Amino acid sequence: MKEKIGIVDTLEERKPYITRKQEKGQEIPLACDNNSLAGAISQRACVYSGARVVLNPVTDAVHLVHGPIGCAGYTWDIRGAKSSGIETNRTSFSTDMKELDVVFGGEKKLSSAIDELVGLYHPPVVFVYSTCIVGIIGDDLESVCKTASQKHNIPVIPVKSEGFKGNKSDGYKAACDALKRLIKRPSEEDIKKKGPRVPETIKPKINILGDFNVAGDVWLVKPLFEQMGIEVIVSLTGDSTTKAISRAAEADLNLVQCSGSMTYLAKWMQAEYGIPYLNASFFGIEDISLALRRTADYFGSEKMKERAEQILEAEINRIMPEISRVRERVKGKKAAIYMGGPAKALTLIKGFDELGMEVVIIGTQTGKKEDYEQISYSVRDGTVIVDDANPLELAELLIRQKADLMVAGVKERFIAYKLGIAFCDFNHDRVVEFEGFDGFVNFAREVDASISSPVWKAVRQRELIPEAMESEKKSGRIKKVAVEERISRENCAKECKGMLLKPEFLHQKSEAAVESQV
Amino acid sequence: MTKRNYATVNPCVMCQPMGSALAFKGIENTMVLYHGSQGCSTYMRLLLAHHFREPVDIASSSLSEKGAVYGGRENLKKGLRNVINRYNPKVIGVATTCLAETIGDDVPAIIREFKEEEGIGDDPEKDIIIIPVSTPSYGESHVSGYIKALDAVVRKFAERPGEESAVKVQNEKLNVIPVESLSPADVRELKEIFEVMAGDYIFLPDISETFDAPLREDLPKISPGGTPLSEIADMPNSQASLGLGIVSRNLAVKYLEESHDVPGYSVPIPVGLSNTDSFFTEMVKILGCPIPVKYLKERGRLLDAMVDVHKYLYGVKAAVYGDPDFVFSLTTFMLELGMNPVLIATGSKSKDFEAKIRQIVEKINPELEPVVLNGIDFDTLNDAVSQCNPEILIGNSNGRYIAKSRDIPLVRVGLPIHDRVGAQRILTVGYRGAMELLDRITNAIMEATDTFTAPVPAELAAYAEKRREEECADEVR
Repeated sequence: MKEKIGIVDTLEERKPYITRKQEKGQEIPLACDNNSLAGAISQRACVYSGARVVLNPVTDAVHLVHGPIGCAGYTWDIRGAKSSGIETNRTSFSTDMKELDVVFGGEKKLSSAIDELVGLYHPPVVFVYSTCIVGIIGDDLESVCKTASQKHNIPVIPVKSEGFKGNKSDGYKAACDALKRLIKRPSEEDIKKKGPRVPETIKPKINILGDFNVAGDVWLVKPLFEQMGIEVIVSLTGDSTTKAISRAAEADLNLVQCSGSMTYLAKWMQAEYGIPYLNASFFGIEDISLALRRTADYFGSEKMKERAEQILEAEINRIMPEISRVRERVKGKKAAIYMGGPAKALTLIKGFDELGMEVVIIGTQTGKKEDYEQISYSVRDGTVIVDDANPLELAELLIRQKADLMVAGVKERFIAYKLGIAFCDFNHDRVVEFEGFDGFVNFAREVDASISSPVWKAVRQRELIPEAMESEKKSGRIKKVAVEERISRENCAKECKGMLLKPEFLHQKSEAAVESQV
Repeated sequence: MTKRNYATVNPCVMCQPMGSALAFKGIENTMVLYHGSQGCSTYMRLLLAHHFREPVDIASSSLSEKGAVYGGRENLKKGLRNVINRYNPKVIGVATTCLAETIGDDVPAIIREFKEEEGIGDDPEKDIIIIPVSTPSYGESHVSGYIKALDAVVRKFAERPGEESAVKVQNEKLNVIPVESLSPADVRELKEIFEVMAGDYIFLPDISETFDAPLREDLPKISPGGTPLSEIADMPNSQASLGLGIVSRNLAVKYLEESHDVPGYSVPIPVGLSNTDSFFTEMVKILGCPIPVKYLKERGRLLDAMVDVHKYLYGVKAAVYGDPDFVFSLTTFMLELGMNPVLIATGSKSKDFEAKIRQIVEKINPELEPVVLNGIDFDTLNDAVSQCNPEILIGNSNGRYIAKSRDIPLVRVGLPIHDRVGAQRILTVGYRGAMELLDRITNAIMEATDTFTAPVPAELAAYAEKRREEECADEVR
């Protein structure tokens, strides 16, 4: 019952989630924002994971996972989010629920665990994450947390993140709900005063929402605003503290980077406290410029606008020689993007454009309809757009779309490597900053380092089959033995039956002849 | 030591479903499906990809709220159908998670129903074999998940409905079943030994290729390799089973002995001199063949190496942690080298761990009174480290914070190792593994103590400086 293969060979039910950009402006009928298909090997995680990745960078909090040990263990120090001070968030706390806790309920163990941890760590806040099992046995987290909160006189905040109750996006929302409870309400008078016209004598204040300070990103972004005469109260949640978060509502403006996780909170702050928000990205020259200019425009101060232009000119002049150098090396190469959230995917399209590269595949785990519309608008015709992709789809797409480089996370890394395709991690595992001007230089260099590595040339020739020297010529002379196109290819094919992928570009004749010294 | 009774701080153990994947992934043409919510499969794939640096596909029945309330029957069936459709496996290992267990899904019954609906029979030659294993995340640990999954696999292939009366056709094979996941390099080494010693053997589970695949022309959907199914089916006919590991109970070996009269012998995981000796000795006893010269020479080289390094290691205080049997074997080796394993710990709750450790300490170095901890987290380990003051740490990557904060070296063995490359190539078993381990431990100590590049004492340096100045002055003159 195998019919014509569409863009990629996949399950019928998955086909609506994969489309190809046909012509500019055409509305794409891409299905998205649904629960993952059973058995399809989604790259997504669960509600709890969404909450965990958003909240975990809060540095001074005790992040207590109420559930069996796995949930806490697998997400221990997951983000690579840097802290400039305390690092309580890098410790993994769990109630390690056992069979008896499941049978008799885990409330008592939870409340005792909170008592213990507060006594040992004296945190300003405790976040208590609920996991699948808690949702099933019905522990009353709200009341345990309330009691603990009164007892210890600190906020103890339940994070409603039962793994099965939705998807990762619901986890983002649960995290934002928890953050809401930390943000102190300003006086009505202060709320009324909110607006773009901040008097010249007062320093305008902003928050950065949806930056997690992976590898220290925020530290390359904050100074740009400070140089413009703006105070950054807090970055949510990268390198944030409970105290800074509580002050968030003092801001005049919110800049939202990771829109997937933080738009909900930004909208809430707008409705509750009258703080408007702008979407912004701090990745790539175009987007950083846009972020600074739009912020200066919002506050309307000529001095600030001028300052922004000065900063941009100086910074761009500073990094441009290096960007141009890399651009010469990588231009024309084809990139594949598979990200958790749509904001990063969108900004990467521009980033690749600045390096002269073309995006041929773009996908996200949690994009929504409007995100994909915007993505479709931003990419060229022929680009494949995919929601909630699985490994087989990604592998086949990489081959069919002839990608030279993939940008994604750890689970995708080894798919690319096995296919002989360069890779750049833009997720939790990255060790250098990609945001800000220096971050973009880092990114460009990493892309170049992976694409230009000689290993790809080596892996193009995966089998070595030298021919034995004819006996009369065995006289100790050096002879060049050409490596032949396959005898044992049939054997290899037999070995990996069930394998449908035939990467054409990997079948090119080996370029290298091997010098064999007999 | 900090007294905590309720909270776990920095876990030193993983959950049961993880162990099942480590076992199932060593079986030919097998896919794993977790019956539970989507996150479980993603997290464990992430950890395994970090450790082995391979793509790791694990399916999920992706239970949603509806599934959790009304039962996961339809999700599980759909998941199985889609896995079959896309991956075309010969075996699907279905491991439960806490969610599936707690909502009370009768997984074996759902599978029976599914097979009926899809017309899947019980002929391993042509039918897909679906093996359920109950591994709630709130029960025991990844070690028990591993043992249970292997037991379920062996049972599934051994118990064939309608063939109860089949006459057993004894073969000359030796079953080999570890109780803990070994590295791909370890499995390769052991297979090589069995190849030479036993000729015919069945190693279950064989992750040597599946978790350490060569780069090839194409990307197979399921990594080739793993224990062949026909071999697993032949296990009840083998002349004997050799269990690797003596602390945890090897359920598969026990089952083969009790239900199929295959005599079972267990030896420690062959790490270190005496454990490798017992391993070879047991094989000689079972198989009646001599130890090949190649290994006798390796043994000699190990002895030579042990002599070479004995002064560097004598009395060095060490802390070791990890899975119970592996820790037992590592401890033995350290004692043999003259090291003082002052702190010996496992994250799993193992009832025989402490007794076995005390026995081996008593046997090799009765003067030593180590702290032995069972079912610990890393915070407890940290406190114990402060108390015992080891000079070196041996265990997985998660101990790196402790090592760093105390400025002592960490020799990485076990799982996970995600902050260094080469986890799949770490060899610890056999005489060769012992030599590699010995080199790594000694070099770590030499590096930490700067044995060969001690800084020049201040007075000597001043003297040299003075000499240079004088020479310069001479030249000028």
